Amino acid sequence: MSERFKYRDDREAYSAARVRALEALLIKKGIITDRTVNTVLEFFETKMGPFNGAKIVARAWVDPTFKERLVADTPKAIAELDLPDGMAGAEGEHMRAVANAPGVHNLIICTLCSCYPWPVLGLPPYWYKDPTFRSRAAREPRAVLAEFGLPISEDVEVKVWDSSAQIRWFVVPERPSGTEGLSETELEALVTPEAMMGVAVAKAA
Amino acid sequence: MKLQHYLGGLEGLGPVNTETRVFVEPWETRIFGIHTAMMALSAQLPLPQTPSAFHTIWTWADLRKGAESLNPFDYFKYRYYEKWLGGISGYFIQHGYITEEELDALTEEYYAAPSKPLPSAGDAAIDDRVVQYLVEGDSPARDVPVAAEFSVGDVVRIANVPSVEHTRLPGFLRNRTGVVETVYPGAYTYLCDTGPDGIGEAMTVYCVRFDPNELWPGNAEPNFSLYADLYARYVAAVDVPLLVKAA
Repeated sequence: MSERFKYRDDREAYSAARVRALEALLIKKGIITDRTVNTVLEFFETKMGPFNGAKIVARAWVDPTFKERLVADTPKAIAELDLPDGMAGAEGEHMRAVANAPGVHNLIICTLCSCYPWPVLGLPPYWYKDPTFRSRAAREPRAVLAEFGLPISEDVEVKVWDSSAQIRWFVVPERPSGTEGLSETELEALVTPEAMMGVAVAKAA
Repeated sequence: MKLQHYLGGLEGLGPVNTETRVFVEPWETRIFGIHTAMMALSAQLPLPQTPSAFHTIWTWADLRKGAESLNPFDYFKYRYYEKWLGGISGYFIQHGYITEEELDALTEEYYAAPSKPLPSAGDAAIDDRVVQYLVEGDSPARDVPVAAEFSVGDVVRIANVPSVEHTRLPGFLRNRTGVVETVYPGAYTYLCDTGPDGIGEAMTVYCVRFDPNELWPGNAEPNFSLYADLYARYVAAVDVPLLVKAA
């Protein structure tokens, strides 16, 4: 949509300078430290991120009883796994997983903002935050998914989950065929944030 | 009425953006970090005191109110983190932590010399608290007795509450009927009191299933269901008059 609007020519350079000025002032005034922003960013590179969700999904693929427990009581099942501290931390205090199955495809949205399960998926990608996606997915999820390259046939039920209160949702995609011989670690590499939100499916490499 | 409260179902917007990156410009990482630190240092949290000069409340609700107060065209015009940068800068100015003049002056300095270093300062206890917040979170669940008015399978009508500044009721669900899918155990607060909109205090939350044929009569895709998590304030009996649920 950006061609509809006019922006200053130095749009990014200006924002870069402004955020740096803001960070500098906040450090100078003792609100944050010179390490605070990097501390946050490192936390999302190492502790909270889609690498956790990939481990959860891969375990669900190799252990159907774990998958059942994951859907029935998501936080309790996640706590079984050897994941970093904080899996019930910020933006993951109340999470629910929904599982795709033959005949059922799940899609997670947030029409009011961009609620996202930080501990297991990290930070939301741009597509999820975009108001056009948030508007359209509530009425025409199939058309939206087709634009993501994921046509869903009419005999598959699409379930759209709008994250409007305390729950942060994610999807357990189906295990792709042709992956029978793969280890759990190899399976993790097939799980993307898009598959765990429902705009993609997991694919064999 | 704010368009931002009624995004669900809006038509004519053109193709979706399929960008999978979280940040599309390096500067965006910095405003995300600042926002997260503000949430962690926010005054209402039961976390250890630190030497940070931050002494007010900043939660998601504050960020959302800022975005929802924008001109709706600007809401579409600006990228996600551009809106954050505007809202967060404004908050620090409005609360007297910084002045607009010093922010403008320093912006000019960094614009002219982008690699000029940041100041070095700060007590490590501040960063410890930020990490503690991320690890422990801030659950809205409260251990207070509430009686859920509805049960799984009940048909309910979504109230048309008088929302003003902020709401957690997606506008496209107002006045529609749905079926209770889940009654979440316990009671849940919201980050702030939304005034006449009616959330804030601990209450039941329901997951309600809606039929898109009722949401979008004659204009719905086949074979899909829409589910939304809704505070009890927004969920009424079907025989309650449409205009507003009794407080």
